[in-house]
Amino acid sequence: MLALRPVQLSDLQQLQQLARDSLVGVTSLPDDTECLREKILDSCASFDADVQSPGGENYFFVLQDLVSGRLVGCSEILASTGCNEPFYSLRNRPFSSASRELNIRHGVPALSLCQDLNGQTLLRGFHIDAERVRTPESELLSRARLMFIAAHPQRFADSVITEIVGFSSEDGQSPFWDAIGQHFFDLPYAEAERLCGLQSRTFLAELMPQYPIYVPMLPPAAQACIGQVHPDGQEAFDILAREGFETNSYVDLFDGGPTLHARIANIRSIAESRMASARQSRQIDARGRYLVSNDHLGNYRAIVAELDVGPEATVPLTPGMLAALNISDGQPIRVVAL
Amino acid sequence: MIVRPVAITDLPSLLDLARCAGPGFTSLPANEERLAHRIRWAQRTFAGQVERADADYLFVLEDDDRQVVGISALTGAVGLREPWYNYRVGVTVSAAPELGIQRQIPTLFLNNEMTGQSEICSLFLHPAQRHGHNGRLLSLARLLFVAEFSQLFGEKLIAELRGHADEHGCSPFWDSLGRHFFQKDFAYADQLSGMGNKSFIAELMPRQPLYTCLLTQQAQAVIGRAHPNTEPALRILGAEGFSHKGYIDIFDGGPVIEAPVSNIRCIRDSQSLVLAVGSPDEQAPVWLIHNRRLENCRVTSARGHHNGHSLIVDRLAAKRLQVQPGDTVRAVPLLGQGRQAVAA
Repeated sequence: MLALRPVQLSDLQQLQQLARDSLVGVTSLPDDTECLREKILDSCASFDADVQSPGGENYFFVLQDLVSGRLVGCSEILASTGCNEPFYSLRNRPFSSASRELNIRHGVPALSLCQDLNGQTLLRGFHIDAERVRTPESELLSRARLMFIAAHPQRFADSVITEIVGFSSEDGQSPFWDAIGQHFFDLPYAEAERLCGLQSRTFLAELMPQYPIYVPMLPPAAQACIGQVHPDGQEAFDILAREGFETNSYVDLFDGGPTLHARIANIRSIAESRMASARQSRQIDARGRYLVSNDHLGNYRAIVAELDVGPEATVPLTPGMLAALNISDGQPIRVVAL
Repeated sequence: MIVRPVAITDLPSLLDLARCAGPGFTSLPANEERLAHRIRWAQRTFAGQVERADADYLFVLEDDDRQVVGISALTGAVGLREPWYNYRVGVTVSAAPELGIQRQIPTLFLNNEMTGQSEICSLFLHPAQRHGHNGRLLSLARLLFVAEFSQLFGEKLIAELRGHADEHGCSPFWDSLGRHFFQKDFAYADQLSGMGNKSFIAELMPRQPLYTCLLTQQAQAVIGRAHPNTEPALRILGAEGFSHKGYIDIFDGGPVIEAPVSNIRCIRDSQSLVLAVGSPDEQAPVWLIHNRRLENCRVTSARGHHNGHSLIVDRLAAKRLQVQPGDTVRAVPLLGQGRQAVAA
């Protein structure tokens, strides 16, 4: 069985292996021991903090095989963007070109660097072993974050966003980057993303063009990247799309990948999850697959389980499930259908 | 040859010149009604009946047989009635010393900085007359006119030189920039602009700066580059002190050259001299001479002998200028120092 839990310092070595395997563009996961150690400590401090309103806290989760102890994935939640540093994205909106005298009126799409997405909760750093892509466990890795938000709403903003990794070719070339970022950095795309992980992303964003970029002036290959999802980012996209997330006018400033957003109240795993009491049971007459969390904070656990969830206030769980959730008989749980 | 203000009787000649110049010469359209309107407006300008903002001094070059063989123009001020736009080619720096990044990105800044300056424009000389001093006379006569009536003009004179175009008349600069906002080809934009709609088109363009690195390579290559046809004009004005300070045309990227009036050679070095009639020898330098009149302006070039406060020219030159011995004229050597030898 796999369980999701907050990261611990003892995970460092395994985490670095995950970082090495992660897709270029998952910038929050740098292959650098010192950076990872800091990230872990920062996450531990965030879980420990007494938070009344969302700030720069970053909650880092790992997905662990409880039998082997192996980490198979990780994911993060930044409580609020723009707290410690501005959160930059490119806004893709038409520049209205109009002349009454010439009777001309049309819109030219333009990308403008902006901080419009400051102050929102950000899901990021989603990475899972290749062999577990499109399994219930990858749903768990992504959506357990939403159930965590449901458990601790005061720690998060009332809308959630995520940036999906944009298109790059198999040899790591991003046509979007080549058409824009390259001119301002003189660095290959992969190197820029690596620097983003090590340095701050904001630091690099501030080197990006401050004036609008008009889409028709970009080469066709770069235009095609706007809002385009990397094949390996498709699952992250699909999971959240099913949760009610939608694309908007914002794209990633390095690779042009889309941004998804949703109001907390409209997110399925939040709106449709419900509380129940765990009841230990040897035998479960399973009627469906569910995500189950213990609703805790620093001791947060979430699993996928085949359950018999009815209208009653209690839900039967096996001893193994209770152990995985680190709870005992009679304690509250949060469940939502997979 | 003389340069004089245009007259309504020049209309047929101007139509011929316009046909000869072709549709690319948008400020001289082969359209009788529009040409007639421009001539009448110029006549009112020379008569002092229009404000500086609207002044259009249109000159013609006429040979001794009263054939009009060229035109040139001078405006009182640009941008006072409707905005006048240029791009200035500036620089944006993208720097992160910690990462060893230091990028200088040429950037186009839309501006109206030429507002109130006077423009020299609309020069066309019949191909059969492109020899001797004709081109220089036709171009520089305007400058000598400014020397005499500087209160009618701005502090600077500017000239927008036609930008680089390919063999089909397409402008790579327009194709990479203006076309995205106007969605028409360059020839059409150029034609509309010749009809006085330039500011309308300009207002379709974004106000915020544009990074040149986002233009096509071909467009970047022609920023500030003049069309090869404009080279003679550029050479003449360059010798007078005009230079390119980084302003370009917003449509074709051609250079805007400029000079402060007080620094223009033939304005700065011009002097008021008493005209005398004599027989200057063949070695005497050629002078550019203005009769100092506004409405009855005449400018010619002639060999002259400079003696104290007087300038001795032959009888024909005095006749061309419609002046008598003893009248004062404004004159300057047609060629600057260092160029006399070449001319001789």
